Amino acid sequence: MLSDTVKSELERIAGTANVSFAREDLICYSYDATNNPVAPDAVVFPGGAEEVSLILKMANSERFPVVPRGAGTGFTGGSLPVEGGVVLSTERMRSIRGIDTENLTADVEPGVVTGELQSEVEGLGLFYPPDPTSLKFSTIGGNIAECAGGPRALKYGVTRDYVLGLEVVLPTGDIIMTGTKKTVKGVVGYDLTRLVVGSEGTLGVVTRAFLRLLPLPEATRTMLVKFSSLEDAARAVSAIISARIIPSTLEIMDSVSIRCVDEFAKIGLSGVEAVLLIEVDGREDGVERDVADVERICKENRSVEFRVAADRFEVKDLWKVRRSISPALKRIKPTKLNEDVVVPRSRLVELISGIQDIARKREVVIASFGHAGDGNIHVNVMVDGNDPREARAGGDAVRDIFDLTVALGGTISGEHGVGITKAPYISMELTDQDIEAMKRIKRALDPSGVLNPGKIFPSPDTGAPRG
Amino acid sequence: MKSLEEHIKEALKCVRCGACKSVCPSFDVRRREPSSPRGRVALIEASLKGEEGLGGMYVGHIKECTLCGSCLNNCPNGVDVPGLVMAARAEHVRREGLSPVASFALRNMLSSDRFMPWALKLASKLQGLFLKSSSVENGLVSRFSLPFIGGGRLLPELAGVFFMDRRHVRALSEAKGDSSKPRIGFFVGCGVNYLLPDIGESTVRVLKEAGAEVVVPSGQVCCGMPALSTGDVKTARSLALKNLEAFEQGEYDYIVTSCATCGHGLKNIFRELLSGEEDGMSARVERFSSRVKDITELLEGILSYKGRAGEGSGDRVVTYHDPCHLRKYQGISEEPRLLLEKTGLRFKGMKNPCKCCGLGGGLAFSNYELSMEIARKKAEGVRGCGADVVATACPGCIIQLKDALHRYGVRAKVVHVVELL
Repeated sequence: MLSDTVKSELERIAGTANVSFAREDLICYSYDATNNPVAPDAVVFPGGAEEVSLILKMANSERFPVVPRGAGTGFTGGSLPVEGGVVLSTERMRSIRGIDTENLTADVEPGVVTGELQSEVEGLGLFYPPDPTSLKFSTIGGNIAECAGGPRALKYGVTRDYVLGLEVVLPTGDIIMTGTKKTVKGVVGYDLTRLVVGSEGTLGVVTRAFLRLLPLPEATRTMLVKFSSLEDAARAVSAIISARIIPSTLEIMDSVSIRCVDEFAKIGLSGVEAVLLIEVDGREDGVERDVADVERICKENRSVEFRVAADRFEVKDLWKVRRSISPALKRIKPTKLNEDVVVPRSRLVELISGIQDIARKREVVIASFGHAGDGNIHVNVMVDGNDPREARAGGDAVRDIFDLTVALGGTISGEHGVGITKAPYISMELTDQDIEAMKRIKRALDPSGVLNPGKIFPSPDTGAPRG
Repeated sequence: MKSLEEHIKEALKCVRCGACKSVCPSFDVRRREPSSPRGRVALIEASLKGEEGLGGMYVGHIKECTLCGSCLNNCPNGVDVPGLVMAARAEHVRREGLSPVASFALRNMLSSDRFMPWALKLASKLQGLFLKSSSVENGLVSRFSLPFIGGGRLLPELAGVFFMDRRHVRALSEAKGDSSKPRIGFFVGCGVNYLLPDIGESTVRVLKEAGAEVVVPSGQVCCGMPALSTGDVKTARSLALKNLEAFEQGEYDYIVTSCATCGHGLKNIFRELLSGEEDGMSARVERFSSRVKDITELLEGILSYKGRAGEGSGDRVVTYHDPCHLRKYQGISEEPRLLLEKTGLRFKGMKNPCKCCGLGGGLAFSNYELSMEIARKKAEGVRGCGADVVATACPGCIIQLKDALHRYGVRAKVVHVVELL
């Protein structure tokens, strides 16, 4: 609970209209996409770095947690106030301060919705590639905190590859600038930008971001390819990459995902065992050649149907299907254990057939889909959490999947971060020394432990509750 | 009607993914979580669980929804947030009663086929005392500040003679018995009857041109959607029954409306509203609802209306705004555009044609400022495409768009598609 002094001080700092203790607001800032609500004691909407700094300084002296929050669309509980305190929403800081068409950079505030930035720069013939599935509603700040990736990561990399520099308020309230504002190069001092990107809001609050842009590719082609087995589809993925074609997107969907999403979108995919959604971009003549090559390779790997989207409306439809899979899975079972493991792409076939074995062994439904091209698969173990057998089997299946992933030389989270839901598992991938090094950094920057506590590191009494 | 509890069961499918935030008109303006569809779901769930401390803010948030249906259309799990919001409003009315103003408006005026016309006729005569014609657009602005009506608001002018009262319309109240022509029963609706009778005139004219016999059954009343969206299920149900009975007096091949909201009500909501009534009711409702068509759907899809090509001048630009109740709840978006091609005007699409205008769900009455902020983007869209004429297919949208264009200084006329045919 916050004292009355703290409450009135928060109002003085951010303005009474930008602080709320109302039950209605506390309810609405209690959740993210893990749907594991924990209500904060207050919600604050600061207008900029100075206000964030004052709030954090007070948090240090008065000892209350501060939890940064973008759009609240994370999958691992990164923005949940698990220890109460103040949720610090970036929703008010949402202006695009500038787009530099000469240096190809953007200067944005953290609350800008990623998709809104993209359409803005695309209007100028520029391109901000990171495309998390939530891009239409998640924010740049949240994307930076989680180092969000997406389908285009295969060719274009992830959020960290587009962050040149950051204005960050450290947990103690100091305002710092990391990296550069407009240059790709810059090696003066430690690379604190990379430290902050992906730190899940535990090392600082990003209040301004300087981003790198690319020229918008001249042409894009979107293809949908159907297969009669998941292994065939996975083999086609490896063959495409081995042929030195790097599509901007190379997405796979298994039969469970297909069935689910077909129910929602009704696009005639029922009965298909696996689908690849492939996008190539570049110059007009180049993409035509790529399409021909991809078609040939898919046929060599026994594809049963190959379709190129005829116009932008068809492209939009295909993407809507892909983006709807994750939430639509709830149609199968009420509880979704949502993991996003990554393996080197040469091991993809092993991962996919291994997951099918695990589903059989543990007697659970597992839906796999995602970014096959970069080896990042969204594995969703679907169970009824209220059924003790299923809940246990689901937990066992998740552990099996993580074991398999690590054995294949992969990582247990490619995009979603650790938050609270993966905290119990990080030691499967990290050594005690690895974890200790991270904790030392956290302690150095946040000696009082006020910024987003209870995340990433498993609590001593065997970890946080699962999502 | 599904109860709030039944709706909540549906709402449990909500996984809080947040996809609805990208399409919600009120969230787009507010940019705070309680104004988002998933926020409303969370709030209504909490209220149903008896969570303490929910008060006026809660009511404000459930009133902010325009019931446009964008979230439902975009939800991978098909969570019917508008249905849930309506159920929550109904629950609120059941517990707390209607506000005196809403109660008077919905129960005495809209639900009566005598008092409403009488009261509005008086108002029609008196409107000049308080309101004056706007110099730039058809409509009225207040001469001085009035209670409930903010300064500068462009109000629709009440018709001098209401559509249903016109002699030639009254003459249409019974069928002539000509069996060679398709017989159409015209459901007029309040917007057309009291405020925009020209739409009614055009509807009758165009239907006749298309070779149909038009009947305007007497005894028809408000469709009940304003009452329902306020949470007054009782009034909505009694209006639905009156309308059902009025249209059971004759035999119609189709029942047509020029109002997207009435159409959604008659086609979809009646089924829900009247379910669980006495024996045989569902067959009666089915017989009625399955015949209901929007005017654009009937003209383009069924009567194959040819238009009077070549009369319009090709240098005027027309654009089209999709009413939510037409596109999202009736799946009609092509027909009005195809009809516009037959007007001879040059068509140019606006940005986000299917974004809500902000009037719906009673928002223009419960929160006029928010409603106008939502409409700002519409006005900018019209400005951006340089249209001289904005066509749409809903009297509600027309009233809202006229007000918004006036407020944001965009010079374009706003009309119903049928007025251009």
